[in-house]
Amino acid sequence: MSTNQTQIVGQSIQRKEGRDKVTGAMRYVDDLLFPEMWFGATVRSPIARGRIRSIEFTGNLPWHEFTIVTAKDISGQNCTALILDDQPCLADKFVNHAEEPVVLLAHPDKYLLEEARRAVKIDIEPLPALFTMDDALNQTEIIWGDDNVFKTFLVEKGNVDDVWASADFIVEGEYETGAQEQLYIEPNGMIAMANADDGVTVWGSLQCPYYVHKALLKLFGLPPDKVRVIQAATGGGFGGKEEYPSMIAGHAALLAWKAGKPVKLIYDRAEDMAATTKRHPSRTRHRTAVNKDGKLLAMDIEFVIDGGAYATLSSVVLSRGTIHAAGPYACDNVRVRSKAVATNHPPHGAFRGFGAPQSIFALERHLNKVAATVGLRPEELRRRNFLHEGQTTATGQVIREKLDLDGLLTRALELSDYHAKKERFAEHNATNATQKKGIGFATFLHGAGFTGSGERFLESVVGIEATATGNVCILVASTEIGQGTNTILSQIAAEALRLDYEMIELAQPDTANVPNSGPTVASRTCMIVGKLVESAALGLKQTLVQSGLLTDDYSLDEWRQACAIYIAEHGALKSFSKYEAPPNIFWNDETYQGDAYGAYAWAVYVAEVTVNLVTYETRVDDFVALQEVGKVINPVLAAGQIEGGVAQAIGYALYENVVWDNGTMRNNQMTNYIMPTSEDLPPIRVFFEENPYTYGPSGAKGIGELPMDGPAPAILNAIESAIGVRVNCIPLLPETLMKVMNA
Amino acid sequence: MTIEKITIDCTVNHTAHSIRAYPMARLLDVLREGLRLTGMKEGCGEGECGACSVLLNGELVNSCLVPVAQVSGANITTIEGIAAGDQLHAVQQSFLTHGGAQCGICTPGMVLAAISLLERNPNPTEADVRTGLAGNLCRCTGYMKIFAAVVEACQK
Amino acid sequence: MQKFEYANATTIQQAVALLGNTWGEAEVLAGGTDLLALMKDYVVAPKRLVNIKDIKELKGITMTANGLRLGSLVTFEEVLDNAAIKRSYPAIWQAVAGVTSPQIRNMGTVGGDLCQRPRCWYYRAGYGILAKDENGKALVPDGDNRYHAILGNEGEAKYVNPSSLAPALISLMAKIKVAGPKGSREIAADQFFVTPKSDNEREYALAPNEIVTDILIPSASGVKTATYEVRQREVLDWPLATASVALKLDGKTVKSAKIALGHVAPVPVDSDAAAKALVGKAVTEDTAEAAGAAAVANARALSRNAYKIQLAKVAVKRAILQAAG
Repeated sequence: MSTNQTQIVGQSIQRKEGRDKVTGAMRYVDDLLFPEMWFGATVRSPIARGRIRSIEFTGNLPWHEFTIVTAKDISGQNCTALILDDQPCLADKFVNHAEEPVVLLAHPDKYLLEEARRAVKIDIEPLPALFTMDDALNQTEIIWGDDNVFKTFLVEKGNVDDVWASADFIVEGEYETGAQEQLYIEPNGMIAMANADDGVTVWGSLQCPYYVHKALLKLFGLPPDKVRVIQAATGGGFGGKEEYPSMIAGHAALLAWKAGKPVKLIYDRAEDMAATTKRHPSRTRHRTAVNKDGKLLAMDIEFVIDGGAYATLSSVVLSRGTIHAAGPYACDNVRVRSKAVATNHPPHGAFRGFGAPQSIFALERHLNKVAATVGLRPEELRRRNFLHEGQTTATGQVIREKLDLDGLLTRALELSDYHAKKERFAEHNATNATQKKGIGFATFLHGAGFTGSGERFLESVVGIEATATGNVCILVASTEIGQGTNTILSQIAAEALRLDYEMIELAQPDTANVPNSGPTVASRTCMIVGKLVESAALGLKQTLVQSGLLTDDYSLDEWRQACAIYIAEHGALKSFSKYEAPPNIFWNDETYQGDAYGAYAWAVYVAEVTVNLVTYETRVDDFVALQEVGKVINPVLAAGQIEGGVAQAIGYALYENVVWDNGTMRNNQMTNYIMPTSEDLPPIRVFFEENPYTYGPSGAKGIGELPMDGPAPAILNAIESAIGVRVNCIPLLPETLMKVMNA
Repeated sequence: MTIEKITIDCTVNHTAHSIRAYPMARLLDVLREGLRLTGMKEGCGEGECGACSVLLNGELVNSCLVPVAQVSGANITTIEGIAAGDQLHAVQQSFLTHGGAQCGICTPGMVLAAISLLERNPNPTEADVRTGLAGNLCRCTGYMKIFAAVVEACQK
Repeated sequence: MQKFEYANATTIQQAVALLGNTWGEAEVLAGGTDLLALMKDYVVAPKRLVNIKDIKELKGITMTANGLRLGSLVTFEEVLDNAAIKRSYPAIWQAVAGVTSPQIRNMGTVGGDLCQRPRCWYYRAGYGILAKDENGKALVPDGDNRYHAILGNEGEAKYVNPSSLAPALISLMAKIKVAGPKGSREIAADQFFVTPKSDNEREYALAPNEIVTDILIPSASGVKTATYEVRQREVLDWPLATASVALKLDGKTVKSAKIALGHVAPVPVDSDAAAKALVGKAVTEDTAEAAGAAAVANARALSRNAYKIQLAKVAVKRAILQAAG
């Protein structure tokens, strides 16, 4: 056998675990069985805010058979540890949102358990609750801290206030986005085994094993080696299994500890939808100074998000939204003032895009208004303000990589036949009173990896281990949740070592066996973790070369032989790699200035719509997604990420409406919460520009969240081009459009 | 009120089974817990997502809505009965090639829906595929790669 | 799901004998598409479930010169596969085609479609058919009522009837044949649905120990029929408004019309006003529109569902134009 010369990166190699997925052999958490396993259930607050007066166990049920856990059973700190640790694991004296967990039950019979759950009556004295951002800001009630504000940011570049007087035009606008449910098809779930001797072990559907680990340490007050978190196959996450699994793991573990049995806690769909996190609703106000040539002189942006009842991840969601608020444009004077506020909704949390879809929606809608005010076409206004190499973003980050947004826009408009369609639609609309067609686009960016100093603080570690047969195992806590972690990390390692793809495998994410490569979030797995895999792999090779067992040019047989000899002599062959920031990357957490992200993906998305002016339904007829994401590691997987993200974002724009009724989600069923089906989506046409990024593995950047950012503004821009009316809130439901048109 | 378990005789994946279960148990639970056929998943429990799809006497149904007592004498095929040993069904292979599976939770139901469609309509258009899969929700793929997989599978 | 007794009936008489004298004791199981979800969420908790799926008399489609008979166990898929129904009773076929999930088409039955319970989210969340909280306060008027009734909503019932078939059956003047302990009787389709005054009543005119056995549709020879649904998403969710029409034409002039609306009121609405607006006139965009306007003339929006008035109007207009072809 000779050295594997085939390029592996850049090939659409089949998904590592694909075979198990198409045969149904893959084991997800609810597929796991343990001897003597009990089932767990959560009793939740029926109202949004109040003081717990009593808990009654009613009905003719054998309560003595049940394990019952309340806040009093918590041995460590009663919190779901994350950033501020303000969220209790179980509400004690007060509840601050509907569906807040209060009591836990376990029993071997899951049917009886469900009856018992319904027979626990929590008597709560209601307290006034807040449900709008305005009420939170106006401090109608104080429900969190001193002022209902979780976090505030200020990004300042130049001085916007010096500009207003000299501007040819000042354009203002207000933009709103709603909550959105992640709606992974596998509901949340955990299984726990816990006792004083062995500590706590959980298996679950989750994105971030070490987040759960950290939360369990605090909840039980145990040393790190007494807590073990193992990821089961996970049926989708999209951010929805970033922080909330820590809560469920805590609950399952508390029950298991008290029951002395393994406890399985699987959420019902209705429970999952009502109780777990959703995308933060937002409101953005823009005030923009522009001259008659369309040059942006000043951008003043106020961005507010509804964090729900506890701080959870709101500060970091706000941070990403704030930094993306000024988009891929060069403007000398930018001010972004942002706030995450508390309401009595269940806490909003991570969801693909993480604040950026909200602020980019506002900006890309607003720039069309700016263009119209100046009298420029929307594409022309953007061309006059695009960032170029050497220019700086709102946070003062100098663009060092090659960047050609002009070219990207031109190509996207060609691919979508934008100009010709625009003309055709104008003719069509002139003669058709009820079916209006339109086309619109959005240009945007998405930063890969943790924001600012985040990656430095994380200090992610990746391991890689060779066996005596020469096969290689990647040791990461980064999880496969459908996005292709297993496959692309294997491709990167195979490429770095010039081995066959089949020779690479991934260890199951298990905090007892894998180092902390950081959470599986923030479009960081490919770019950040992938780069660490690449360097750990090279470290492995270097070890063999330095031991004299391998030359730089080797065959597969020589590799296998070298591994076998090394392991025979030294026992094991492992290599670890720890994150180091690329050179010239600096971030100032005080001023919120500097290099916010190591790299950005850039994109132009074009949507074509038909609006029916009788029923006010909007249908997306065609969708072009063009992006520059560095080197594409696996084209089929990458396109799959984009298509899936675009589909979610079409839902975000047009269908997916969380109906709140005094802080309770009223439409917590798949029947009433409408996500796109196979019949609702247009052809989603995906194109890549490849511009290898110096510090990414084989030149790759992040990709996962990007497609969530652009579709909503592109679709609403298309709707505006179809009907000539500006609508600035999503989801844009037919009833909303009808109201706007008839107003 | 005491309720007795009953015995249900049925065929699952070409094997005859005598199942002891409460009559009200959902077919989904009996197959998953009793026979340990865990390929079908409970995505919603109300017939909306299709993740629990099985073929019941050749017809695609949501097993979360079928009480086991109704399957007496029936012939049931689950995802575990689709591949012939190591030999994947053309639809399964096509899902692999085209990236039709991402997180995999909807995949078993989706594969069964596709097979059911192709049995009725061996040469579906993309519009037919969209309709044939209308009872199965997928949150990962945006369906495009699934359509491609089904269209290619029927060309084989 | 609570535990319950399961009884398998193989004849109509057996089924009827197994049902109780009051609502809630027993439920009839056919396709299960609605009932199992309701039981899972404890919205209904019967002590006994009577399976009628094995009753042979309830199966089959028969079409004669006199009309069409659908056994109550006929599935949606069987209706859709029937070319003769598509040709002779387009309103029926189109109503069923609105259900696009293959699984639900395979499982759901026409009898079940008539007897399914409302989709109202307060009802589904356990607040009862009249949607009241524990203090007896009505939840719909001040709550989220975007999908609730715009007609017939003066009383306590604010939900909408969920049946896909009902408007078509009313427009075609079908009869619903039901069987009870004393034998069978026929109920006109427009009399089949009722508005309950309490949570102990049902939305249909069956006694607790009666089951639907047949749907009898008179010949539609010379009648032009259509069903039109307005929905928010292509598949899976329930329509926001449906209209079915049956027209007899004399040349271009409408000789008689029967127009029924679904998903807009607690019962399907047989709109005489819409029919009157159309009779004696030729079918045009304008007359169809006027009939639509007449259908919703008495509509009364709740706080969040005014948009449905427009949609109901559109459904009527399009159904008329579609029927007249």
